[in-house]
Amino acid sequence: MKLQILVFVIATTFSVPSFSQTTPVDQAKVFEAMSLTSRAFRNAVQQIRPSLVTIESFGGVSAIQGRIGGIRKQGEGNTTGVLISDEGHIITSSFNFIQSPPVITVITGDGERRVAKILGKDETRKICLLKIERFDGIVVPEFVNEETIKVGQWAVSVGVGYGDTNSAISTGIISAKNRIGGRAIQTDANISPANYGGPLLDIEGKLMGICVPMNPQSQAVGAGVEWYDSGIGFAIPISSLDDVIARLKQGENISPAFLGVRTEPNKSGKGIRVAEVIAGTAAADAEMGHRDVILKINDQPVDDLMALRRILNRFEAGTEIKLEFESHLDEETKSATVVLGKPPAPKAEDSPMEPPKIR
Amino acid sequence: MILTLAIFCECLSADEANFVVNAVDSVQPRMVKVYGAAAGRVEGYATGIIVSDSGRILTTQGVFLDGSQIRVVTPDGESHIASVLRRDREHQLALLQISAQTPDFFDIKPDDVGQKGDWVVAVCNAFKVADKQEPLSVTLGVISLKTSIEAKLNRRDVAYRGDLVLIDQITSNPGAAGGAVVTTEGKLVGVIGKIINSSETNTRLNYAVPNSVLAAFLSNEKPASLAAKSAVKEAVNLGIKLFSHGGRNSPAYIDRVKRGSPAHKAKLRSDDLLISLAGEKIGNVKDYELAIENLVPGQDAIIVVKRGTELLRLSIVPAAKE
Repeated sequence: MKLQILVFVIATTFSVPSFSQTTPVDQAKVFEAMSLTSRAFRNAVQQIRPSLVTIESFGGVSAIQGRIGGIRKQGEGNTTGVLISDEGHIITSSFNFIQSPPVITVITGDGERRVAKILGKDETRKICLLKIERFDGIVVPEFVNEETIKVGQWAVSVGVGYGDTNSAISTGIISAKNRIGGRAIQTDANISPANYGGPLLDIEGKLMGICVPMNPQSQAVGAGVEWYDSGIGFAIPISSLDDVIARLKQGENISPAFLGVRTEPNKSGKGIRVAEVIAGTAAADAEMGHRDVILKINDQPVDDLMALRRILNRFEAGTEIKLEFESHLDEETKSATVVLGKPPAPKAEDSPMEPPKIR
Repeated sequence: MILTLAIFCECLSADEANFVVNAVDSVQPRMVKVYGAAAGRVEGYATGIIVSDSGRILTTQGVFLDGSQIRVVTPDGESHIASVLRRDREHQLALLQISAQTPDFFDIKPDDVGQKGDWVVAVCNAFKVADKQEPLSVTLGVISLKTSIEAKLNRRDVAYRGDLVLIDQITSNPGAAGGAVVTTEGKLVGVIGKIINSSETNTRLNYAVPNSVLAAFLSNEKPASLAAKSAVKEAVNLGIKLFSHGGRNSPAYIDRVKRGSPAHKAKLRSDDLLISLAGEKIGNVKDYELAIENLVPGQDAIIVVKRGTELLRLSIVPAAKE
């Protein structure tokens, strides 16, 4: 009897829209759309599942000491990666190896545990390439062409970092493209240590990018983690990274570019004033000096610190650039072609991994 | 029946009516604000849900309930003095009683509601933005994962242990705990849990304590996990001595294997790195010490070690500790 009443209530509930001002079609559509997106999210995760790997690290630097270079240690849990070649190449985030673990294993979709080694890291994108022995049944995901990604389209982040073999998902939209020197796409799906190295998918389960911590103000490996629950997250699209991936396969490490100047605004005109030149850097090679004014890099005007950062963000260590600057001695414009170097190790007091304190 | 119909008509008549709106409308009358004592850095407020028509309130357990007075503000803006009926430190839940009739309430059933990817609405008083009769804050997200994990609490309190529903809207904020997480149709998925940090990720978790746990707490059943934990276990011996120079956080390399021991019979050797034991990852010496506590003498377990560049999967039969 009770069941019958319940059925009747449900039946009347569903027929109610015809009594209301809203048309029944609208209501049905709203409900259908919402449940369809949920089904699509689940389907997307299902698509990537065979390519997803769980990464386990054993030992490492901060397993002994709590901090390295002021960076709070990463979690104790497993991390996520994505198989991207038939030969057993796995792409993930360099964040996952802050501790430089001497031993890394991965668990592939078939449940097998395999020994992995790190081939190369791209510190400008915080991505990293691992290699396991090739095996039968590797499934490589379909990549989304970066050009076709649109701001506002659905995005699903996936990761196994919470300690369950099942992946956790977060959904949102693409918030922006061409962030961090054109290297990253931005999303409001949660990007956190639970999915760094994991995939950011489109609604069909195709791979749009690899989730990484990023912050345009800092290139420290942990920078960006502080935004893990802010609605600002980044992923590296890899569809156009064949060249970078080929270099990582060769064991190359790619570092951010470092010019080697401390700057201040130029109150008396165009450009940005040099407050200090660090010895042994590209700026020193260009024979720039204190109080010189940087005008252009590769013919692009440098008007403020933001512009300088934006331009430098597009390069990497080893890139040759053309510097134009005005000498403070004779006010003559000089030009020099130099090769950008690597930034020095982060200072001990930086703590870019500390989550925000809310009181 | 006519009455039911009338209520639903009213809910759906608004032009912008959608399922989230309906869910929120049905949930708000069953929510309360809870105020207790602030202690140092611990906030003195939380959210709660009404779970009976006789003034029973389910909220989060915390030191804020230890003050001289607990107040519950019902959706009509009335303030009531509350007493604590029961607490569960394992799942961080508390049951309060106010002396008022509360006709709108959640009938808690141990139903498994919602699955990964489903849209869910969180209703809570994070940062005590809502005051008196003001409705609580509502956020939309999806279920990230239904899981069972052990997590350590942010502060000195005990850990949460048991089933969790991870969600992707941010609820790990002061005052949110005790709030409701419902489907877009208004069905209860669970109650927002206290702020905890996952030791796996070093980040805060956004999660709901699921209906099954709530129902067990309300019916005063001892959760299964507690019962299992309290069972007396017999200590086992594997005959492994690990390298211990780096402390308990260093990788679990075998230093020595005792002749004739279970490890010796399993063909383990010095310098093998333990990778997993009985399905548990052995990331360090500490993990190993925890994992052997779950072994039973005479019952074989799988041990995975790395020897050189190879992974070996071996069977080991633990012996009783003498």
